[in-house]
Amino acid sequence: MPKRVPIRICVNGQPREAFVEPAASLLELVRGTFGLTGTKEGCGTGYCGACTVLLDGQPVNACLVFAVDADHRDVLTVEGLTTHEGGLHPVQDAFVACGALQCGFCTPGMLVSTVALLRRVPYPSEADIRAALAGHLCRCTGYRSIVRAVTRAAAALAANPENPALPQPARPRGMRSRA
Amino acid sequence: MPEAIPSGGRSVVGTRHPRSDAVAKVRGEAAYVADLTFPGALEAAVLRSPHPFARIKRIDVSRAASLPGVAAIAYAGNTPAIPLDFAIKDQYLFARTYARYAGEPVAAVAAHTKRQAEAALAAIDVDYEVLTPVLSIDEALAPGAPLVHPQWRTYERSAGRVLRGNVCGYNRIRRGNVERALKRAWAVVESRFTFSAGIPGYLEPRAAVARREPDGGLTVWCGSQSPYSNREELAAFFNLPLDKVRFVNQFVGGAFGGKILLAAEWYAAALALQCDRPVRLVFSRHEDGLHVFARHGGRALIRSGVAQDGGLTAMQASFVFDGGAYSGYGNGAALIATMLVSAPYRIPNLDLEATLVYTNKQIAGPVRAPGGPQATFAKEVHIDEVAARVGCDPVTFRLRNMWDEEDESPAGQRLRGVSAKRVLQAAADAIGWGTPCRPNRGRGIACSWWFSSCGRSEARVEVRADGSVHVTSGNPEVGTGAATGSLPIIVAEHLGTSPGSVFLHLADTADAAYDSGVGGSASTFSAGWAVLAAARDVREQLLSVAEHALEARRDDIVIGEGRLFVRGSPEHGISLGEAAALAGGVVCATGATPQIDDPSLEHPARLEHHEFAAWLAPSFTASAAEVQVDPETGRVTVERIVTAQDVGTAIDPAGIEGQIEGGAVQALGFALSEELQFGPHGIMNTGLGDYLMPTIADAPDIQPIIIESPSHEGPLGAKGVGEPPVTTPGAAIGNAVYHATGNPPHDVPLTPERVWRGLAQSRADTTSAAEFPHETAKTR
Repeated sequence: MPKRVPIRICVNGQPREAFVEPAASLLELVRGTFGLTGTKEGCGTGYCGACTVLLDGQPVNACLVFAVDADHRDVLTVEGLTTHEGGLHPVQDAFVACGALQCGFCTPGMLVSTVALLRRVPYPSEADIRAALAGHLCRCTGYRSIVRAVTRAAAALAANPENPALPQPARPRGMRSRA
Repeated sequence: MPEAIPSGGRSVVGTRHPRSDAVAKVRGEAAYVADLTFPGALEAAVLRSPHPFARIKRIDVSRAASLPGVAAIAYAGNTPAIPLDFAIKDQYLFARTYARYAGEPVAAVAAHTKRQAEAALAAIDVDYEVLTPVLSIDEALAPGAPLVHPQWRTYERSAGRVLRGNVCGYNRIRRGNVERALKRAWAVVESRFTFSAGIPGYLEPRAAVARREPDGGLTVWCGSQSPYSNREELAAFFNLPLDKVRFVNQFVGGAFGGKILLAAEWYAAALALQCDRPVRLVFSRHEDGLHVFARHGGRALIRSGVAQDGGLTAMQASFVFDGGAYSGYGNGAALIATMLVSAPYRIPNLDLEATLVYTNKQIAGPVRAPGGPQATFAKEVHIDEVAARVGCDPVTFRLRNMWDEEDESPAGQRLRGVSAKRVLQAAADAIGWGTPCRPNRGRGIACSWWFSSCGRSEARVEVRADGSVHVTSGNPEVGTGAATGSLPIIVAEHLGTSPGSVFLHLADTADAAYDSGVGGSASTFSAGWAVLAAARDVREQLLSVAEHALEARRDDIVIGEGRLFVRGSPEHGISLGEAAALAGGVVCATGATPQIDDPSLEHPARLEHHEFAAWLAPSFTASAAEVQVDPETGRVTVERIVTAQDVGTAIDPAGIEGQIEGGAVQALGFALSEELQFGPHGIMNTGLGDYLMPTIADAPDIQPIIIESPSHEGPLGAKGVGEPPVTTPGAAIGNAVYHATGNPPHDVPLTPERVWRGLAQSRADTTSAAEFPHETAKTR
């Protein structure tokens, strides 16, 4: 049995500690150790995008990141999009309103990638949207409704940039530095 | 007759609502099988044959059984020696004497950890004698070919099913005299096509958890398209009483036909029956790729005769499909192909046949619209070649030959609600047919027909005293939105409430609301009927309660906005919950699909070995596509797809558009990039990085057009919706490439290399220009 490694990680704004096997993926940590099963495993090889989470605000395939590499970093999963009061994030709202999901398996990854896109590009063109989400396979929708949902979410966020539903940075940037 | 909707027209049917599972899905709360936790569960792994064809001389599990953590091993030596219950009984749960494809399960292990289970697999000693595999249709049909099933003569099979060596299915439809008509035709056009095998492409790999219960029963948590029939099959196989076996369906991460047949459930169950703890089996993507029920690869030859005036006079068509190693279930594509190939065109002389063959490859299964994309591609590109031969515009040529009301199908079914011309015209108009195209651009059009299926379905609808409305249906939610879109809308329509307030229970066989499953575009059709019957009954009961409570005449009571009130005085009323309370706490009813007979055939003598020639509530679909072809590389970019689909009555338009849009992009993958590749050791591209499904960057602008031509057989006039939109867009893309390049594409998918070779052919072959009049080419 390989020796487990202690890590500290901020998950959806909450500081967490865990002992992980050196070869364990961030996906195993999030789903297995923390029980956050909203993040899905579609391929385990980085092609489908279903396991996407935000690591320090950047979308990553959690199946390709070692859990130990998330030590002292921020992770945002789909569960972290919902407000403390249980309200939907504007991106979630838009996916519901536009019917931008069917089986729902790719949806959590699509949602967090969209959040990252809209933080970076508040007014994305259709080309921006398609480029940002090209790492996410969806077999059900044909993607048209997803493009619409992202456009709608952008408009909603632009109308209310102080939206309390937006996840706030959990702590100052300086804390991210790793030993 | 189409069923009338109560209280003066639709108020909910045909309107747009979020799916009832949308919020749970965006929150990440919707649980799929792999999300369930079972404390103390064992983890399972499956040992698979590395050889496409091998004789198994010996299996020894003793070394594996003694390894740490191993709780159970299942294999041919300790599971029932009875074949699986398909139309040809050619397959066992685990490979016994022969392993017939690379990836076929040989044994399964349950252990305390996945790592221990995998270590045990490596310790199972299997002595294989490697045999020469049959890896293509040509090899299967060659004289003296090795037999995939050397004992085929001993197999039980259903009546009428053809089995002869490597041929495991055959059907034919004949009408008139094709030989003579082809001889007399003004021109005969011949086209040959090949198709690669594909995958359904659901994102959630298959998974199951099974637990032996103290009463000797078994519970299986699964993500299936047909939990009720899976349960019957599994109970019979393990000789368990049906009522002691329970299948609990979860949310399903896509299915597309690939989750109709049992897979992970089998092995989890076989192991759990030996264990006193739950057994969990989650396939990896690679393993799911090996265990896939594939879209049939195959080939087609079509030869048509046409008169000088552009009238089709004869068609001879011959399909051969690769059924893979076991073909009890794979004949559907062959039956459907002969029904599609000449439709929806009036052709007096027909000779249409399809053959299914065994090969040492993955099993071909019922992928969304089995045989549909393949046969539609072949026939529609062929039709454009015939149109070019007579110098006729493709839309005009189709309209010239297309079925009208009361025309007959190839097998002599008198057709009603024929909307072929309507959908074709709608697609042509939307794509801007006839307007000029830039160089290296092309437009193509394709039209086809499809069936609705009515299975058996039961449902329960109840209104509780707290005002909540609950629907229990055995129809699984697999993503299509039939269960979470159409069913709540039908209930809301009848109970005067909103679909969002209707609570739908996921399929669980403990509810005893039987459903024959998702497949054949059946869900809204059969489960819709069951829910409709129950909702009507509940409505009548609520009206009876209100009659007494409000001391009003039944005819004067209005049901709407969650209340029952007297017409003209909305304040004089009671809520649904109050009505339920007055009725003792709950108002409920069950409903079931009525007996709906298959349409009759006027000429059954035209059929040979064909048991699927009468099509219930047929529908028509047309797609048009515009593509850009890079002449240097042969790369095709699809700019637009339009699909016009006749859905009967559009119960859930938002859900229907989702089906059309998703179908278009699956069809795009079929047409351009999706191709299972087989080497001497089996599938080479089980991963999603080398099996190329379209991404959002590949997907074009898609325009769905809903056409309503209500059926006489469906609930509220509905027709089947799920499969048709994956049949026509690929063919429209094929024809668009034809018109962009001047070269009809015959080998699917149209990879850049194939398109480039076609372009080179066009440039070299000056006669092709004569075949294709310049002035029509310019306008496409």
